[in-house]
Amino acid sequence: MNALGVTAPQGQRTSPTRSRVARIVKRRGTIVVFCALVAIALAVLLPFYWMFSSSLRTMDHMFSLPIQWIPDPVNWQSYALAWQAQDFTRYFFNSGIVAIAITIGNVILCSLAGYSLTKFQYRGRGLMFVLILSTMMLPLEVTMVPLFLIVKELGWQNSYQGLIVPFLVDGFGVFLMRQYMLSIPKDLIDSARIDGASELRIFWMIVMPLCKPALVALAVFTFREAWDMYIWPLIIITKDSLRTLPLGISLFMSSYGTFWDQLMAIAVLGTLPMILLFFFLQRAFIQGIAATGLKE
Amino acid sequence: MSASACAPGPAVKRVRPLSLASKQAMFAYAIIFPTLAILLVFRFLPMLQAFYLSLTQYDLVHPPKFIGFANFVDLVQDPLFLKSARVSLTYVLFSVVPVLPLSLGLAVLFNRSLWLKNLLRSAIFMPVVMPAVVMAVVWTFMYQQDGVINTILGWLGIDPIAWLRSSASALWAVILIGIWRATPYYMIIFLAGLQAIPADYYDAAKMDGAGRWASFWNITLPLLKPTTLLVVVMNVIVAMKVFAVPLIMTGGGPGDATRVLPLFIYQTAFEFFDMGRAAAMSVFLFVGVMLFSFIQVRLFTRGEELR
Repeated sequence: MNALGVTAPQGQRTSPTRSRVARIVKRRGTIVVFCALVAIALAVLLPFYWMFSSSLRTMDHMFSLPIQWIPDPVNWQSYALAWQAQDFTRYFFNSGIVAIAITIGNVILCSLAGYSLTKFQYRGRGLMFVLILSTMMLPLEVTMVPLFLIVKELGWQNSYQGLIVPFLVDGFGVFLMRQYMLSIPKDLIDSARIDGASELRIFWMIVMPLCKPALVALAVFTFREAWDMYIWPLIIITKDSLRTLPLGISLFMSSYGTFWDQLMAIAVLGTLPMILLFFFLQRAFIQGIAATGLKE
Repeated sequence: MSASACAPGPAVKRVRPLSLASKQAMFAYAIIFPTLAILLVFRFLPMLQAFYLSLTQYDLVHPPKFIGFANFVDLVQDPLFLKSARVSLTYVLFSVVPVLPLSLGLAVLFNRSLWLKNLLRSAIFMPVVMPAVVMAVVWTFMYQQDGVINTILGWLGIDPIAWLRSSASALWAVILIGIWRATPYYMIIFLAGLQAIPADYYDAAKMDGAGRWASFWNITLPLLKPTTLLVVVMNVIVAMKVFAVPLIMTGGGPGDATRVLPLFIYQTAFEFFDMGRAAAMSVFLFVGVMLFSFIQVRLFTRGEELR
């Protein structure tokens, strides 16, 4: 280590031209990388731009050649027309309720379970952890038929609880919270106990605030998944008043399939909450994804 | 904490060690109970029931009739099922393999100081933010015969492609969307993996005269092995579950060109009301997902002793 530290500056001192060349090459490399990334970003964003610009294009210019990159005239009407064509207010409301409820449920239940798995000693703890983790092997696409039968048996078809309760907790979320809570020192909890705090109070006042980064990441991650949920509402919802936004959009697509301006307007509105969420919680968003990777 | 607070602590523990420990254990059980209950009822129970249903004939009207392994015997001879399994495999293979170099490459490009780095990263991340249903609608529009994609291809001198209307191209159109959506997601995971590699390693390699490529092959790739494995596994699982995009864009067609397994399960169960057969298909899908999830769970818990 020491030897390396000494040789480095010496090497630079002996050949200043070489290091300058290296710096220029490096800078040129950076410029190339920058340009490449800008090009990639533009290509990746094309669907977003096309969605937005088409929502403002009039139908007669929708497929006109040469391609109309900037809509002229601007057709704001598509938004109002699409919104009125179906009960989108209701769909938005339903999606919001479901996604928020699922997010709150996961934030509370996953952290409670994670706390139990990290800071207590009891029989069956390892088994419980394995059980919870192994639910990651049971995605909805595999269990949809019997899950539908169970929810039907409970009389929860066409109900909010049918949309929400099965997803109130998730194996991966528990795993995420457990990993994070492993780093909370046990002494902190013990000393709070000695001070006479109740277990629930310790969890709520000490553990939860310490877990804030993980909680925000979990919340954002869960909200995104819940807002995106399609297959399950498709199976258990038949009533229009309980349709979530994805159901509403796909229904709109099948009945207004050629009104591309209105379809794109609804697509913009359906993406907007996620874009806003991403805009304000960018770090949490990216951390949430990064957290699905491996630690260390 | 303070001495006065500390003193009675051990004393109390010594007097009633069991009751305090069991009180805490009670609390630990109580707070994990809701999670276990929900997962048992809405994950494990359905899985067990899926195994049972797969051995029956059940149309939601008449009670399930036990028929042994007939569903499975039928399925492995059913050209529609085999076709669907093949479509799913093709989707998985061709949406996973390109994502690997693309997401790793992007991550490597981003793993340096760069002008507007955060803005660019956020821009490339955007597909992750778009809901699947919206994605299906927007891409359907772009894939139209005189849509924007064919127009751009026209600039490059490529004849218009029928995309979703031809059984030769529909699956590739769907795969392309999968790649568009998955690449930024795994780029973030790779980026996290890259940032975890200590800079010392690269400095040391540089001292030894190793160039960029040499350090990439000899340091980056080997150290990213667990991350790479995880990315493959997660991506395979996600790809096996793809549903909304093919359903909305093509309904599984043209013909059965894009009828992936989850879509076929859905149609068998909720359009043809053949619950037993759908459950048997689910068992096949389960085996596939389980193999890969098992690796994922092992990766997550490596180096840990589960007590």
